[in-house]
Amino acid sequence: MTESSGGPEVAPDCAREPADPAWPDPWSRPAGPPDGGGAASPAPPVAPPTAAGPHGEPAAGPPAGPPVGHPGGTPPTVPGAAGPWATPPAEIAGITPAGPPGAEPRQRLHPLSPMLHGAKSLVVVIAGLSWSTLSRVGFGWFVAMVVVLALGATVLAVVSWWNTGYHIVGRELRIHEGLLWRRTRAIPLERLQAVEVVRPLLAQLTGLAELRLEVVGGGKTEAPLAYLGVGDAAALRQRLLSVAGRAPAHQPGAAVVPGGPGPRPEATGRPLHAVRNADLLVSQLLTPQAFLLPLGVVFVVAQFLSEGSWSFIAVASTLTAMAGVLLQPVRRVLDDWNFRLAREDDSLRVRNGLLETRVQTVPLDRVQTVGVTWPLLWRVKGWLRLRLEVAGYSTGEPDDRNRPDRLLPVGDLPTGVRIVAEVLPGVRLTGLPLAPPPARARWLRPLSVRVLGAGLDERVFAVRSGLLTRRLVIVPYARIQSVRVVQGPVQRRLRLATVHADTASGGGAVAHHRDLAEAWVLAAELTARSHAARRTG
Amino acid sequence: MNGPEPAQPPVSALEPWPDTVRWQPISRDLIWVELLRLATGLAVLLVGLGVGWALSGHRLVGVAFGVVLLLGLWRAVAIVRAVHAWGYAERENDLLVRHGLLVRRLSIVPYSRMQFVDVSAGPLERAFGLATVQLHTAAAASDARVPGLRPAEASRLRDRLTALGEDRAEGL
Repeated sequence: MTESSGGPEVAPDCAREPADPAWPDPWSRPAGPPDGGGAASPAPPVAPPTAAGPHGEPAAGPPAGPPVGHPGGTPPTVPGAAGPWATPPAEIAGITPAGPPGAEPRQRLHPLSPMLHGAKSLVVVIAGLSWSTLSRVGFGWFVAMVVVLALGATVLAVVSWWNTGYHIVGRELRIHEGLLWRRTRAIPLERLQAVEVVRPLLAQLTGLAELRLEVVGGGKTEAPLAYLGVGDAAALRQRLLSVAGRAPAHQPGAAVVPGGPGPRPEATGRPLHAVRNADLLVSQLLTPQAFLLPLGVVFVVAQFLSEGSWSFIAVASTLTAMAGVLLQPVRRVLDDWNFRLAREDDSLRVRNGLLETRVQTVPLDRVQTVGVTWPLLWRVKGWLRLRLEVAGYSTGEPDDRNRPDRLLPVGDLPTGVRIVAEVLPGVRLTGLPLAPPPARARWLRPLSVRVLGAGLDERVFAVRSGLLTRRLVIVPYARIQSVRVVQGPVQRRLRLATVHADTASGGGAVAHHRDLAEAWVLAAELTARSHAARRTG
Repeated sequence: MNGPEPAQPPVSALEPWPDTVRWQPISRDLIWVELLRLATGLAVLLVGLGVGWALSGHRLVGVAFGVVLLLGLWRAVAIVRAVHAWGYAERENDLLVRHGLLVRRLSIVPYSRMQFVDVSAGPLERAFGLATVQLHTAAAASDARVPGLRPAEASRLRDRLTALGEDRAEGL
């Protein structure tokens, strides 16, 4: 915040507010002593709207003249502000222009977070070195390598922690990062969709939490603040939501999940459904991975017996490979353990997870599509799975565990019908009018032509596809963003066309291989009905 | 070039609702822009292959040269036809864009779903006095892109889309 020249730019620094008592944060930088004289006016705890425009920068904000860099990297601290919490060099290099007077000081993340990042990297390091390295270099060297790499990662994490800070300026949350490539991200809080408090296992053990911000249009989850103290995370969430003008409907801290076996706050609202953990286990045993595992084990054991060699490395590698195969079902079991679904006013509350408990609130008016899946092996039991697509949540993330897309990890048909009727009022899962494509579509889809179907219901568009894993996608007309008709060369010969109904997230609904005339009718109907649905709300 | 195949059924692939929709063509100058673009790419490739052929004298390189040339010519013909096939229509509540020859696409984008409008013009397009208007919705899959518009028409379309979008704005 302070320009190194010590000129007029010192003023904002001394105008820094004292630490907010409601915001007890021992690791925030203490305010520098008021060395600028009486220029400072006491600032209210929250940056007042008068201090900053919508973009947080007053007209006089940018520092005059080019910022004087300090190649040596020694921050010329304001006298008295030295010490362990001195101004980090990031502020000196002029990357982050001086905040407006009254902006709150930058806060650091919890001092334990580098340790947690280091511990996380330990797993990566061991996985990266792999068993073959262990066999080649011996146990002692292996441990030494692991320790060195993990220490290196921890040091990097400490450096990054040192240079990471956040604060709220006006109606923006600013996050400063990086030592060499400095980056300041300003997240306009108007665009904030949701703030989630997530507690991975390690964080649960240390009493920390991670804050995730979901922003409209963001390609991925913006700015995970990892890690904060649980109380701080809850308070910051509350504050961000209030600045965003969206006071949470529920009491503060409801989204914070206490770790450990202590009494958990039950998801408020009217409970809709609770998945039995036994069903969840059986359902994940009925996946191809779990089903084929015994065969793999038999194969490997037979090979070992015929080879006659039982080296430790071979066994360890086999076990690792099996763990890799089983990872997805095991993860699903861990993620969906104790799955509870409740309805609260106009939103759904989903609570799930064994190691990492999460509570997600899904506003019903943001549901874009509902997907129903019947995996092949589950049909024995008559089970199905329900998923949601919600607008505003990231689609580009490979790790889809953070998206609120679970509606029902496993359940029978009546349950599915009930939940679908709850999410999309007036929709009967069993009564959807699905019409098959014309018989000549078999030239394009010889096997799955019998499964394909599309239909216009009163309020939703529904399509079905998938031979082995059957899928049904339901899109409310009001959520259709655009309609497309696509016709490939073979389809042209057969007078077929494919109709897409695009939604804000997920793939939307695709009606494959409809008769050309029907496709045009579908497109016209979808357009007209989505228009009408939006008119009426 | 509407419906190049006379054997089309009563409803043509690219022209639904013929009585209510008036299709606007895009500027033919786009053909030159696209051809120049193709020619530059092709020239680099052909020079590389030609030099390789001259140096190595290998027959395969010569064959590759010929294949690239043929593909380039075919692509040039495709460009001409594709630009003729591209069209857009403004209806009361939505914008229709059609394009594509091999795979034909028609997009119907309601004005109320518009998030923002892009008007862009690259150096080559600017030299021919053209611009591209693209309509963005919250769905990544929507493709409503109209290239080859005169700047006046582009800004008219942009202003109209923006006005209509604000008029009927709705969120997700």
